[in-house]
Amino acid sequence: MPQTMRRTKQVVMENKEESSPERKLQCNDVSKCFQLLERILDGELVEGGNEMLQEKLDKCQPCFAHFHLEQAIREVLKTKCTKQPVPDKLAESIRQMIQDAR
Amino acid sequence: MSDVQRRKYSQEERSTIFDGEFMPHIDSMYNFAFRLTFDEDDAKDLVQDTYMKAFRFINSFEQGTNAKAWLFRILKNSFINDYRKKSKKPATVDYQEVETFYNSDDADYQRTSDLRAESVRDMLGDEISNALNGLAVDFRTVIILADLEGFTYEEMAKILDIPIGTVRSRLHRARNLLKDTLKGYAQSMGYATDDEED
Repeated sequence: MPQTMRRTKQVVMENKEESSPERKLQCNDVSKCFQLLERILDGELVEGGNEMLQEKLDKCQPCFAHFHLEQAIREVLKTKCTKQPVPDKLAESIRQMIQDAR
Repeated sequence: MSDVQRRKYSQEERSTIFDGEFMPHIDSMYNFAFRLTFDEDDAKDLVQDTYMKAFRFINSFEQGTNAKAWLFRILKNSFINDYRKKSKKPATVDYQEVETFYNSDDADYQRTSDLRAESVRDMLGDEISNALNGLAVDFRTVIILADLEGFTYEEMAKILDIPIGTVRSRLHRARNLLKDTLKGYAQSMGYATDDEED
């Protein structure tokens, strides 16, 4: 059995909620599908994107898994990355520099 | 900076633009600068330089357009021109080199990852930050712009002076590299990945 298929099967067996008998285990056009999914996740409007997305998520397991992984990556980057506190006097010093430059 | 000098702003207008449209982005600017330089003093200098340049060239900023993208572009150019050269750290891989290395877009999209969404969600902020900081600066930059700052492909293309298609593929590669690092973390932490038993 090809590697991807075996993996996909494992996911399906391990996580019943994520699986659906409706979904095919092999994607016929990974390259095109993944590019489309990533553009949609990045908020780039693709014509008819929502319908296509729903169709992929309902019917294709590799697309389903890729979409949710990519979504998780974006989510944790957005919410979990440690923020650096801005030094207290930075804004003040910039205003002072501008004042002096005038 | 925009090439056309549209008009001259009065002193009062300049203050309004500077305080109302430029200064509110100081937090994002500082964080971007810090993630580029990894040094508090360098980040501070870079932000100060950027604001000085923004003030000097304020007439080429069109009021009401995207000030944040305009400022980010100045900051990124200052970083490349002034800081990257004198950085004590050995130069990381360069844009061109990297892009020549990955010459096949299509093949790159064929890759599927064994990393699982739940493992990613379970990771700590420090792990995510470390993984991001470990990327080469050009890859790090696109992720900061897209995911942390929410710029669109079009805005990123302008900030980075590259075509939209390059933004898209560079971002895709950056996230793939990030996934590789996260997968390494997941395995060492004993989180599940799909190919553990391989």
